[in-house]
Amino acid sequence: MTDQTDTRPDREGGDRCFIREADLRELTAELLAAGTEVIAPVAVDVCASPSAIASAACRMPGAAPIEIEYRALEDASDLDVSRGMPVLSLKSYFLPEHEALFCWRQHGTQIEMKQVATTFPPRVILGAKPCDSAALAIVDKVMNWDYEDELWNGRREATTIINMACPGIDESCFCTAVDLAPDSTKGADGLLTPVDGGYIFEATTDKGRAFASEHKSHFCAGSGGEEHRGRQADDERAAARARVAGNLEIDAQSVRDWIDTHFDDPLLAALGARCNGCGACTSVCPTCHCFDIIDEEEGVGKGTRRRCWDTCQAGKFTLHASGHNPRENQGARYRQRLNHKFAIYPLKFGEVLCTGCGRCTRVCHAGQDLVEILAAIDVAARRPGAPAETVEAVSDTASADTAEATP
Amino acid sequence: MNIYQPQLVTVVDVIDETSDTRTLRLAFTDPALRDSFEFRAGQFGEYTAFGAGESTFCIASSPTRKGFIECSFKAVGKVTAALREMNVGDTIGFRGPYGNAFPIDDWKGKNVVFIAGGIGLAPVRCVIWNVLDRREEFGDVTIVYGARSVEDLVYKRELEEWAARDDVRIVTTVDPGGQTEDWTGKVGYVTPIVEATAPSAANAVAVLCGPPIVVKLTLPVLGKLGFADDAIYTTLENRMKCGVGKCGRCNIGPVYVCKDGPVFTAAQLKALPAEF
Repeated sequence: MTDQTDTRPDREGGDRCFIREADLRELTAELLAAGTEVIAPVAVDVCASPSAIASAACRMPGAAPIEIEYRALEDASDLDVSRGMPVLSLKSYFLPEHEALFCWRQHGTQIEMKQVATTFPPRVILGAKPCDSAALAIVDKVMNWDYEDELWNGRREATTIINMACPGIDESCFCTAVDLAPDSTKGADGLLTPVDGGYIFEATTDKGRAFASEHKSHFCAGSGGEEHRGRQADDERAAARARVAGNLEIDAQSVRDWIDTHFDDPLLAALGARCNGCGACTSVCPTCHCFDIIDEEEGVGKGTRRRCWDTCQAGKFTLHASGHNPRENQGARYRQRLNHKFAIYPLKFGEVLCTGCGRCTRVCHAGQDLVEILAAIDVAARRPGAPAETVEAVSDTASADTAEATP
Repeated sequence: MNIYQPQLVTVVDVIDETSDTRTLRLAFTDPALRDSFEFRAGQFGEYTAFGAGESTFCIASSPTRKGFIECSFKAVGKVTAALREMNVGDTIGFRGPYGNAFPIDDWKGKNVVFIAGGIGLAPVRCVIWNVLDRREEFGDVTIVYGARSVEDLVYKRELEEWAARDDVRIVTTVDPGGQTEDWTGKVGYVTPIVEATAPSAANAVAVLCGPPIVVKLTLPVLGKLGFADDAIYTTLENRMKCGVGKCGRCNIGPVYVCKDGPVFTAAQLKALPAEF
């Protein structure tokens, strides 16, 4: 398991060194030549997509013709180091959209089961977003309390993750409000920070140090000017932190306490009023890990049990066989998502189940904006005696026409 | 074998409880596991009909009865419909036992009151047999059981068996309109029948399980009878998939029913958000 204690690299640490842009490509080529899977951000030309829906979307006004995705590289030249935000997080590389849990075959009244592998070949993720590696360390907790999820753990152990310091993407980012940073190495084994001509590299775990030492000819060849570049990296990272911090400043503990103690507060119900329950937020979320378990028959008398992503935003998620549904409206389901992320998970596992990546806000068709929503809760939490108008003023766009916030 | 892969169990008996509710008696196909398998009253499992999927039921048999486990279910969905098609000799899957249990050892010397509605008798039946098989360790045993109609009463043979014992007080009831001409039990909803039966709360614990409405209405009645919230136990059966605290489906506030439950005291329930 990745060492999770080291969340921010030591700025004066001895593990820092310079890696040239060309060396990063050569390292990637070497890994690929050795048969190691390398997953990295890749710029995808959406307009050239064979998907009719994607290429149609590309022609919409304002559509981005290029999307960034984490993909297994076919060629080192595909590595995209532009530092944009991949549409989907790294989640699917550890908890695939669907995966086999075992296979079965029937022989008369007897059943034969075939196990699936829980160990995986080594692989490297280069240029991970800090908010995406952090999500893995956070989800490690639920995957390992009491019962251990060998499929998750097997993939975690097989993977070396090198983050790329993030410049801050847009106004939806808020990693700094959930105890992370655009240069966090939580859940990762090392960090690259862009500087003139290449990157400053820091290994932050034994796995990261072993990786660097194994590929020493590319890492840290040494070319002078390290001190200058180190300062450049520090400046770059400090600027990114300040940029993201400007998006949202909340008292995380008060927000957590407020959600935990205001289950029936009208503000929470109002915040969910605009949600239409499509579940896109849970799909793009790096920390949402809820799943379904289903059987897939493959002809007569054999099949595969699979687990697949599920969403707490769907009405049937909690529907009992009797017809009773503990969360029978969308307000209750949206409240559950906030509750699980900002109150339940911290209570249970000591961590907020959110990395502030902003994907849920960017993807939401209904305009649910988690930055606005957390700001509204923060106001309610900080000023328990505040008049309703104050809360509404902050949350008016989020809670639309149903806000009756009376904290 | 990962934590989501079941053990194989063979159907050794099939009992029709009602027209749509069936009990399967299951034995592990691995003889070593058949001997070593242990569980505590109140724990549950995930039962597989291969090709249809998994469903969550309590283990309805008592841990005092060795060599098999039983589950009782109503055929309402894909998996339960498939399980209902199973015959003696067929193979299904089982994962478990999961969750916590009724703290029966803490009840030694106490009177035990069992209250169940409908198929809610399944988890309670496990505790009833556990207590009756260790009868001398407990005080008075009272059972109040109701269903929508005479046809909907489950474990009918056992209801008669308990009624025939002189160390058990049992009251059975059916909802108004659900009685037959030869019905000799009570007619009325479970909650008022509990109130009329008025089991003493002195040195007693109550075990309550049924549809959410029965639990909701009966809790205050037990309070009125003098049962403290920490002397009332119930078992929640939220929708589950994994059963092992991962899939995120059964949460009630900070509680994972599959791991922190399914057995809760009324005191614990009252501390949770009213979302169950």
